[in-house]
Amino acid sequence: MFKNIMAWVDERLPVSDLIKSQLTEYPAPKNLNYWWNFGSLALLVLVIQLATGIFLVMHYKPDAALAFDSVEHIMRDVNFGWLLRYMHANGASFFFIAVYIHILRGMYYGSYRKPREILWWFGIVIFFLLMGTAFMGYVLPWGQMSYWGAAVITNLMSAVPVVGEDLVIWVWGGFSVGDPTLNRFFSLHYLMPFLVTGMVVLHLWALHAVHSNNPDGIDLEKKDTIPFHPYYTVKDLYGVGVFLLIYCFFVFFAPNAFLEPDNYIEANPMQTPAHIVPEWYFLPFYAILRSIDFLGTFSKLAGVIAMIGSIAILFVLPFLDRSPARSFRYRPISKVLFWIFFVDCVILGWVGYNPSDAVVLGGIPIVYVGRAASAVYFGYFVLIWIITAFGIEKPKPQPKSL
Amino acid sequence: MTFNSLVKATALVLALATPQALLAGGAAAPLPTQDWEHKGMFGEFDNNQMKRGAQVTVEVCMGCHSVKYIKFDFLRQFGFTEQEVKDMAESQGQTKKSRMISSMSEEDAKDSFGVIPPDLSLMTKARKGYEDYTYAMLTGYLNEDESELINNAMEDDALSDSEIQSIAAKLHLNPDDPEKVKEVVTRIQNGENFNKYYPGNFFAMPQPLMADQVEYADGTKTDLHQLAKDTTAFLAWAAEPTLMERKSTGKGVLLYLILLTALLYAIKRRMWSKLH
Repeated sequence: MFKNIMAWVDERLPVSDLIKSQLTEYPAPKNLNYWWNFGSLALLVLVIQLATGIFLVMHYKPDAALAFDSVEHIMRDVNFGWLLRYMHANGASFFFIAVYIHILRGMYYGSYRKPREILWWFGIVIFFLLMGTAFMGYVLPWGQMSYWGAAVITNLMSAVPVVGEDLVIWVWGGFSVGDPTLNRFFSLHYLMPFLVTGMVVLHLWALHAVHSNNPDGIDLEKKDTIPFHPYYTVKDLYGVGVFLLIYCFFVFFAPNAFLEPDNYIEANPMQTPAHIVPEWYFLPFYAILRSIDFLGTFSKLAGVIAMIGSIAILFVLPFLDRSPARSFRYRPISKVLFWIFFVDCVILGWVGYNPSDAVVLGGIPIVYVGRAASAVYFGYFVLIWIITAFGIEKPKPQPKSL
Repeated sequence: MTFNSLVKATALVLALATPQALLAGGAAAPLPTQDWEHKGMFGEFDNNQMKRGAQVTVEVCMGCHSVKYIKFDFLRQFGFTEQEVKDMAESQGQTKKSRMISSMSEEDAKDSFGVIPPDLSLMTKARKGYEDYTYAMLTGYLNEDESELINNAMEDDALSDSEIQSIAAKLHLNPDDPEKVKEVVTRIQNGENFNKYYPGNFFAMPQPLMADQVEYADGTKTDLHQLAKDTTAFLAWAAEPTLMERKSTGKGVLLYLILLTALLYAIKRRMWSKLH
């Protein structure tokens, strides 16, 4: 019966062929380690966010006078509304955990190198879209951090020369963050996940065109590959189990761990919180933004350019890295630079979390730490280029096959 | 460079790097921590404590504050009778189906205190320190000995070194900053409300709770610690009435996921063993 139906469909649309070539018999490297689980995990969180988000919208009211109350209505009155909201709020954090590990894995094993540049670029576009989506989503509960976070970030657009001030008013839909801002952010927060989904399809298409990289970063022969199913379906599912365990621990037992207490205070345009902090996943970039404060009137614009540049520079990473080896396993200097880069990102996050006038380590203004860490951040990309373009780094011998 | 050495180095840097601006800027004393029965994976709200906390909230807090996301009728789940709930509502000029809104109008509150008293529905979730913050606000005022110490200070318009030392120690102020201590003493003597744990110390709210201010039906002692603890626990329930449902669901979910993940791991091992 099922065979007959599938035969009927296949004659008209080759579904079985697609499943066979792209899933059950799709060749995958046999040496992938667990760092390769995070792509499928990011996809899992995307599905969780879409599913919970659609149901949250059924109860949420995008109105400055009603939004905060409607979130509490979801928490208190809607059946399992607390579950929907906590899954969605923690889902945002776990989305970024998965995506950051996914990006760092790509950087360490050289997954951005030829022939995977387009695959890498699609990934960066997804990352930009995610940040926009997360930022607008955080505004929707209309708490104090929602409001003031939105005010600080949208204000950055005033740094654009000539039209900046008008641009901010246009984005706000008024002369301050207010009801029109909330409405358009709601609309865009609903739209952007579908753009993300479209980009994920392109990302997967690009992946399946060039196939997965692997921890050794070498081109594999047929004998070094195994069919995706059942080997990687079961390995990915095991990863899903572990990931869900950690995620659900937070959802059910520490649901506010990633949230600022201030966001349980309704937005009040008349009262600025003592200390405005963005969500943790924006902190390193926020630190870079604030580190440029020494250029007088150009500081704001330069800070914004540096912040956007800190992610946009990933676009040219495939051309900066000229090493004959992809994987840092065989690149001793790159490996050290990578770990310095990683620690530097953590330091930037910590700088971003603290007030900009804080003093640390017995008398050093934190902004100096931020400037140094920003320099190290961009230094990584320059050094990767220098050590590979001028043959300073001699890669260790790589195997020809596994 | 190994991963472990990196972790250690990072931890060391972070330990050294605690920002000092916060400590220098007249920050309040660190919040004392309490054991909360509803916290932790297996924590639950205690119905008797909820009844006591609700009583203090209605009889004392609601003189000025509202708990707007809770209706009086919800309190019956802790064992209050319908008549008791009706009486509580009537004490605020409300009916049992109304939300717990204070009988004091916002205008009157602003006239008396200069600010509108914040709604308490989310108080235990909306401040750093959570329940410990609320408890500290209720208990952080000067006790009798401390008040006496302050009132007797500066009789000749100057503070002696020993007075500065003892006042600074009691009030968690910096003993090396006599000007600050003097300013604090003057403001307290002028009748401002001092709370050891409130950031900035001076607070629009006069001491809200005193020992023996209410009489508990179940005979529990009514010292300040007990009153503050019961009230805070009740407000923690008001902040998230679905907390118990969340945790009991969570236990089932985690148990299921542990089993599922173990099975998936076993299948993965078995499947991949053919490869090696």
